[in-house]
Amino acid sequence: MRRSGLASFLLWIGLTLLTLLPVWWMLVVSMRPRVKLYSKSVLIDAVYWDNFLAVLNSATFLRYLWNSMLVATSNAALVCALGLLAAFGLSRYRISGGDNVFFWLITNRMAPPAVFLLPLFLLFTKWFVFGDAMLFDTKIGLILLYCVFNLPFAIWLLKGMLDGIPLELDEAARVDGATTAQVLSNVILPLARPGLAVTFILTWIFAWNEYLFAATLTSSANARTVTTALAEYVSVTGTNWGEMAAMAFLTTLPALIVLGFVQKHIVAGLTFGALKG
Amino acid sequence: MATIELDKVDKHYGAYHALRDISFDIADGEFVVLVGPSGCGKSTLLRTLAGLEDITGGTIRLGGQRVDNIAAKDRDVAMVFQNYALYPHMTVRENMAFALKLRGDTLPDRNAKVDKAAEMLRLTPYLDRYPKALSGGQRQRVAMGRAMVRSPKAFFFDEPLSNLDAALRVDMRSEIKALHQRLGATSVYVTHDQIEAMTMADRIVVLRDGKVEQIGAPLELYDRPANIFVAGFIGSPAMNKLSVKIDLKSNAARLADGSSFSLPPGTRARDGQDAIYGIRPDHWILSRGDQGAPATVELIEPTGAEILVAAQLAGQRVLCAFRERHALKAGDTIALAVDPATAHVFDKQTEQRISP
Repeated sequence: MRRSGLASFLLWIGLTLLTLLPVWWMLVVSMRPRVKLYSKSVLIDAVYWDNFLAVLNSATFLRYLWNSMLVATSNAALVCALGLLAAFGLSRYRISGGDNVFFWLITNRMAPPAVFLLPLFLLFTKWFVFGDAMLFDTKIGLILLYCVFNLPFAIWLLKGMLDGIPLELDEAARVDGATTAQVLSNVILPLARPGLAVTFILTWIFAWNEYLFAATLTSSANARTVTTALAEYVSVTGTNWGEMAAMAFLTTLPALIVLGFVQKHIVAGLTFGALKG
Repeated sequence: MATIELDKVDKHYGAYHALRDISFDIADGEFVVLVGPSGCGKSTLLRTLAGLEDITGGTIRLGGQRVDNIAAKDRDVAMVFQNYALYPHMTVRENMAFALKLRGDTLPDRNAKVDKAAEMLRLTPYLDRYPKALSGGQRQRVAMGRAMVRSPKAFFFDEPLSNLDAALRVDMRSEIKALHQRLGATSVYVTHDQIEAMTMADRIVVLRDGKVEQIGAPLELYDRPANIFVAGFIGSPAMNKLSVKIDLKSNAARLADGSSFSLPPGTRARDGQDAIYGIRPDHWILSRGDQGAPATVELIEPTGAEILVAAQLAGQRVLCAFRERHALKAGDTIALAVDPATAHVFDKQTEQRISP
């Protein structure tokens, strides 16, 4: 190996270790009893499962986990469905001001999310109130909110994908006797599947990892998600670092596994439109 | 099968007038080729027939029924696209059966029809393959099979051969023609290749700038082009177009250097009128003795079947195609004569034909 090759190899090893260090540290802490927490070693000195068992035996945590699953999956499914329809419209029809609509959608993502906190809190508690029901502290509230933040991204991604599907395929299908809905279901949907998979996974992970809104707009086990559970370990009497690390590790795990499986498709999906151009 | 009637069809894209007042009828079972240079509106016209574009004015009838106001899916026509437009996620069989499935044919019915078409097109061994595993010619045949299985009212072809290499194009050309003779289906075929148009068509429609320039059988267009554009467009190598002045006293078309050719009998011209005298390259007669106009040989291209000779005639370049292997070389002076019956005369102003 040439010297420059070796240098870049070492650089990447270093960067990878740097990136993985917090994850490793999380695992190490989760496997330590309270008394050994501040030991200087960075290695796992003994297998100690109590932190994990404590977390997994907690009904609250399991409830939060279920909430997270439900919110992330429903959000991803809804975003994919709506995103595909919107992208189909923007890609296939000459809509006056279509480009502006597209840009306007993207602007939703330009302001820091914290800016929206107060207005959203007021909307959830004061405006979207139907009798006794309100969006505050509900899973549906979170699902809809995440849709607002995920849709622009999904539309951007899927429009690129759909632009890469030749228009002649739509036309061939129409001449073959297909309605617009049949064009969408028989031609566009199967061909956009890689893009939809990427959209689903990325939006799922966004919803799974989201903390700020989940912490502000929910208040009980009714709708709280796992990310908010982590914060609950910081209390006035101290922090249970071991259990917190175990829970953090369990929270990271699904996203990590999913990403590992699909990272190849994500790269392919993100560059699909560009390559097919 | 059905007749197609176009009546005063107009199409605007904003300020751009893509189709202007197009009217003609296509008989049941006829093979009509729309031909013209890029941007002449031939593909647009085909797409309006298929229902992929709206028209701004006029009417289109298919089998007697007005269709310009109904959607593509309800017109019962089939179209073969330039890039084939095969569904990449479906096998050859699924591609061909897609339209049948949409209209609700049963599975055994679909399979029988697909098998029959596949056999006709020699696609049987490829029925379970995906389009990406096929060659260009095979994909083209699948696209045709997809159209055939439905027995539609009419077939529309949008430059179906332009993505194939030259040899395959010639093969597919005769294959499409043979298929048409076998199925007898009303077909409209768009191409910019006048050889394709000449060889395949029952009738050719020549278009320019969204207007019909001439409609007729291939040889009719070749023998009696209605105007200078058609004369130049149909035939390869292209017709020689000499600028001449009409001299009625001697019944001749006079070139700048004073030499002249006889006018075809029955030419309606004024004395002194500026005109274009058109001669196809293979209609020149290499004259012995002092008959004919003197020309200087510039370039000789033997093709085997004939020799192509480029020459200067009264300051204008002309191309001659001789069957005989004349011993000529660049710089030679030759005398070119014409049988007036094979010549074409056009008014220079109106560009319309004035010889019979």
